[in-house]
Amino acid sequence: MNPIDPRIHRALDGELAREDLPRELRLVVERLEAAAALLAAAPAVAGLEPRVMAALRRPAPSRMRRLVRWFSIPHAVTLRSLALAAAVALLTLVPIDEGNGPVLGDHEGIAQFVGRFPDAQTVHVVGSFNDWRTGTIPLEDRDHDGVWRATVVLPTGTYEYMFVVDGERWVTDHLADRLVEDDFGRENSILIVRAARR
Amino acid sequence: MKLGLLLTLVTSPLAAQSVRSRLEARVPTGAVSTVDSLVQVAAREGLPTEPLVQKALEGGAKHVSAARIGAAAQEMLDQLRDARALLVRAGDAPPATAAEVTTIYAALKRGLPAPVVERIVAAMPQEPRGSALHSVADLAAHRFDPDSSASLIIDAAHQGLRGERLLDVSTAVVHELQRGHSRAEALAVVRRELPNVPAPPKPARASVAGARRPEAASPPPP
Repeated sequence: MNPIDPRIHRALDGELAREDLPRELRLVVERLEAAAALLAAAPAVAGLEPRVMAALRRPAPSRMRRLVRWFSIPHAVTLRSLALAAAVALLTLVPIDEGNGPVLGDHEGIAQFVGRFPDAQTVHVVGSFNDWRTGTIPLEDRDHDGVWRATVVLPTGTYEYMFVVDGERWVTDHLADRLVEDDFGRENSILIVRAARR
Repeated sequence: MKLGLLLTLVTSPLAAQSVRSRLEARVPTGAVSTVDSLVQVAAREGLPTEPLVQKALEGGAKHVSAARIGAAAQEMLDQLRDARALLVRAGDAPPATAAEVTTIYAALKRGLPAPVVERIVAAMPQEPRGSALHSVADLAAHRFDPDSSASLIIDAAHQGLRGERLLDVSTAVVHELQRGHSRAEALAVVRRELPNVPAPPKPARASVAGARRPEAASPPPP
């Protein structure tokens, strides 16, 4: 440790004129005075307690701010997390093929047929829309709950129809709003297909 | 007139041929010639023929006897004649279109009284009445008075509702009935709302996406 020249102390205390100092000591005194001026100009450093209390009172940063902060800080990335991110991006960005379905014309609409046939092996809908041909419009019971459904595109208009269960049993759709006698001792349901594009 | 007769003479044999081919193998042999001859009569009289063919195909699919199919087709021919006569009585200038004759036939078949049908036809000249008649028949099926129902539908038409929108009128009335109104109140409530009756929702996107075109889907008979 270098001892400080006593003349410097005396000059700083004003007991010795600077002009009486050698040049190198005068420079040291000037530097020390400049440093003291800087310290005097700097704001007072707050104590630990006020700083902790201020941090506690500050509202939590928003999610976006936290997200930005998270992205701005380097993180270690594992191969597994990269693969997971890629999978999520693929599922989000690549549309799942739901089947766009048919493009409907101005004079076409959607007809939905639903019937409950718990013990049926096959159910078809047959009517004036398919020249009363059995087998062209099957209903499906995908979840095996006995409820059979079909959704088909038909030209707009009025039709009569019945369900054919297991290829031989003709059943009226009693859920239909409209029924009419079929002239053969049964009732047909009436279907009015309205244009899907309205 | 001469052109029309010429066209009928030229096209009738072709139509007859196609009718026979549609019926054969799908309708009992004994019914084919009966229905075929009825179709030719209908064509000569300017009546719609497709409903007769459809009735025969329906009978064949349902394994109905030839005699019964023939009888049903004959009865239908008579009803088509009645339907056309009604149209003429109501003021439609002859010849009535096949589509309108079929519409009137269907309304009578659904049980609407002829005077009610005639009233609707007269109130809606120069426009298709199918939806109006179905709307009234829908209300009649819910035990509404056909005459009062016809008045409501005619009012709706006069207030600008046309075509399928008239079906929404009967739907709105039935909804009011289901909400607990009496039949008279339900009719009155909807009359006050005219022409603002709710339209049905469009088919859900998922329904359209899942829909498929059936084989041999054919438009309704004219």
